[in-house]
Amino acid sequence: MLPELLQGTDAGGFLIIQDSVNYSGRHLLWSFINAALNREEAVHVLGFEVSEEELKDGLKGSHIQRLHFHDAYTDPLGWTDQPAFTVHQFCLEKLTHLIKQTSQHKPATLVIDSLSWILRHRCPPDVCKTLQQLKKGGAVRVIIGLLHADMHQRGIVGSVCHLASSVITVAPGMKGDEAVAKTTKRSKSGKVMQEEAIFCIKEDLTVVVQSKPSHLGSRQTDPEEQETDPTANLTFNLRLSDTERKAKEKLALPFVFSKEKKSALLHSGPGSGRILYEPDANDDYDQEDPDDDLDV
Amino acid sequence: MFTELNSILNTSPDSFTQGEFILVSDRQSDASFLIHHFLSFYLRARCKVCFVGLVQSYSHYSAVSQRLGVSLAQAKEKGQLIFLEGLKESLSILNPQEADTGSQAMDFLRDPAVGLRSLYEFVRSGLSSSDGGEDEWGPPVLLVDDLSVLLSLGVSVGAALDFSHYCRATVCSQKQGNVVMLARCDGEEDEEDDGDDEGEGSERLLKGLSHQCSLALQVRGLPTGYCRDIHGQVEVCWRRRQADGQHTQKKLFQYKVHDKGASFFARGTSSAVL
Amino acid sequence: MSVTRVTASMAAPANRVSKPSGERLPFNTTSFQKKTRSKLLSIPGTRPSVQNGQLLVSTGVTSLDYLLGGGLAVGTVLLIEEDRYDSYSRMILKYFLAEGVVCRHELFVAAAQDNPTDILQELPDPILDDVAIHKPVEQPRLSCEPHDSLDAMKIAWRYQNLPKVQSALASSSRFGHYYDVSKTMEPEIRQAAKCHPFYLPEHPTQSSPTHSPMLESYSALLKSLEDVIHREGFDVATPMSNSRNILRIGLHSLGSALWGDDLCCHDNPRHGHALATFLYGLRALLRSSLAVAVVTVPSHLIQNRALMGSITRLCDNAIALESFKGSERETNPLYKDYHGLLHVRQVPHLNCLVSQLPDHKDLAFKLKRKQFSIERLHLPPDLSETVSRVSRGELAGATMVASACGSGTSGNKHLDF
Repeated sequence: MLPELLQGTDAGGFLIIQDSVNYSGRHLLWSFINAALNREEAVHVLGFEVSEEELKDGLKGSHIQRLHFHDAYTDPLGWTDQPAFTVHQFCLEKLTHLIKQTSQHKPATLVIDSLSWILRHRCPPDVCKTLQQLKKGGAVRVIIGLLHADMHQRGIVGSVCHLASSVITVAPGMKGDEAVAKTTKRSKSGKVMQEEAIFCIKEDLTVVVQSKPSHLGSRQTDPEEQETDPTANLTFNLRLSDTERKAKEKLALPFVFSKEKKSALLHSGPGSGRILYEPDANDDYDQEDPDDDLDV
Repeated sequence: MFTELNSILNTSPDSFTQGEFILVSDRQSDASFLIHHFLSFYLRARCKVCFVGLVQSYSHYSAVSQRLGVSLAQAKEKGQLIFLEGLKESLSILNPQEADTGSQAMDFLRDPAVGLRSLYEFVRSGLSSSDGGEDEWGPPVLLVDDLSVLLSLGVSVGAALDFSHYCRATVCSQKQGNVVMLARCDGEEDEEDDGDDEGEGSERLLKGLSHQCSLALQVRGLPTGYCRDIHGQVEVCWRRRQADGQHTQKKLFQYKVHDKGASFFARGTSSAVL
Repeated sequence: MSVTRVTASMAAPANRVSKPSGERLPFNTTSFQKKTRSKLLSIPGTRPSVQNGQLLVSTGVTSLDYLLGGGLAVGTVLLIEEDRYDSYSRMILKYFLAEGVVCRHELFVAAAQDNPTDILQELPDPILDDVAIHKPVEQPRLSCEPHDSLDAMKIAWRYQNLPKVQSALASSSRFGHYYDVSKTMEPEIRQAAKCHPFYLPEHPTQSSPTHSPMLESYSALLKSLEDVIHREGFDVATPMSNSRNILRIGLHSLGSALWGDDLCCHDNPRHGHALATFLYGLRALLRSSLAVAVVTVPSHLIQNRALMGSITRLCDNAIALESFKGSERETNPLYKDYHGLLHVRQVPHLNCLVSQLPDHKDLAFKLKRKQFSIERLHLPPDLSETVSRVSRGELAGATMVASACGSGTSGNKHLDF
């Protein structure tokens, strides 16, 4: 499902990439930007957390000329004199105006990096309302937002994700570059699809999905590992050839007695002595209850 | 400056990555030795350094730097170092005797609700004042020891994150310099607990900073308990794409702080146990 | 080559007061330099630390001095988390003040609960005469002469060169005095010391118009402290005179409701940052003066652990006392020799990279008539004849010690090495 979302086959919608401290979703976000640019779409990035230079550096090799960066990074609160975009300007009118300025005819892709920044400064209902208006507005075809889920209360994350048509939650994978993406997609008909996939992002920002259904994938890898023979590459010999085995069986081990000797030792023959014992009065017999210290 | 740490981070005063936001954090442990490392590192690298020292006196930083072979007094004299001694500045504000004696930088002590804009203004003007001698010093560097003490003084988490964001935007992106911030946490790490009650302040600050930073050094005590010969472990986590294409890379080391430095070694290879 | 680096540098740079700060060491010189003792500040009752040259004063409790790396550094704050009934923490505060009286330091005592003059009247009586004889009796001999015991070790001869276990913490050299807690100090001795009391009910607090996070009570206290420090010349910045002295500051039960603080009452107190801000100001004040402070805080009442963490971080030293009185630990046979546990929460970082870490973190204390002693916690030798019969209780003790030894672990099962 992740590749379909990247290809943008859907008509429109609102996509959220949820990440946490353990794994940043920004590279996946950049993959989405890259994919949209390759489809010759106009992409508007509302950047709070990454500077224009860093973004363009990250998107090296893409068609950057269709990328429009709206700088909310340098001065998002208006602390200096000429803020380009402040967090308080996050409303339908301003955004539509910004987008219409550059890409007039074709509806554009709006990327918000990140929603967390806005949610920290604006009240969540306002943010949700603006997002919903943008979704319906017409100027924007797709909204893609990054959300640091571990920075907000669960309710806020839930409310924002409730608006989204697709939510991708990323988490670190088992090894190296891999990451796990849990994708939930709601179609207009109300059908919900869920999928978990392991993916990695290459240097040119293409996403490679390594195994689709992850629970199957992990099960497949396990038996493979078990099948490898641990005795295959030993520096010593564990097996015996037939001649070796015969030689081994021939050998008499020390302290292993012959059958005759064993039976002679175990079964006493007739005429041997026995001990008979009958306790008498002089015998030292303990009168006390041997269990009296058990306190029962 | 700890040469072992330099080789771990693949950096040296002669060549280091510019535009980095380095987060130093600790949990039930003390990471302030890393702040001293970065202070001496960037002074040796001939950077213009702004040091916001909120928890200790100037003489403490100066004495430690002396042991690491750097003189703060000389750096100050030459204009290489701008030093904000929070303790000293705070007294005139907490005990107002004459009107307005302290600098504006610690204004938040008067009313924590106003935020840290004045502190940011101090940093910005401090790092951009060298108009004449632009080429005298290298890229600007901001060091903060430590950000979480601001929370103790009543500043909100959001205000602290705004401050760090502006510092990053100005120093790292605009001026291609570096920022090093220390944030301290004393709770246990609760992975499951996140999000519900927003956690406590220092925890949320640490999360927010982790999302901002490009390199995180996380110091914590040994999970198996107190040990005299190994002071704790450092997890180094690169959050930005490295030259070799990997983007999140983690390495774990144990460390011991000495009189004049610190040694870092792989787990279980302390000289005390070998 | 004998390198003496015993220079009295403090948290406040007092040894540099006489010369301008520009006159520093040149770049890259080694710190191996002989500094003459003439530059030492000679104040009675102080000594430089052997580790880092900090100027130290005694807490009045010898084993606590040892635990803190020789004593309290001038210019720092010691935080004591009170035990449940404030009996032992109050005792340590009194030892600290009594030591000040004996050393002729000046005192500043602040309290909201009892009048500071009452606290001063309860100071324990110093044992001044038998100091010389007293010590060898109280302290077991160290393992200097292993040959003495050579004959005794026939079977377990492998152990003969090991040092003898000395569980009471003590340093070799004498510093500080002993006190007899059953008697109170003679009024003549007590009155010879100059004391500045601060009793909160006697200081009418006016509400301040600022939005500062500090409470009025704390502001008044900080202001009063600053006044005393400036007026009496404890400021490092005042010109060096021959008769410099130390100001000992004892602040009792800060954070309690009587200070007007709601820290102990609510999970999310309205004045949550008041105490932390005060301690920040106190640190700022002390770093530039010849003063040392002991602060006790009823931490068992503070509901919010995170706030307690930030309070601890704004002090230099922090210890916590946990009395067995009223806890289930009182009846545990493991603890029968002790009155409570002592936890080291924080050690100071002062003018050096490495801090003085204690050898041990499992410590217990007991209050004897002539000594408050802090010892390493260990199982008492089992001398009973009916070993097998009491094993159940002992076992409980042994598991307790196992968990105590793992104190500070986060419960992970894996080993680091």
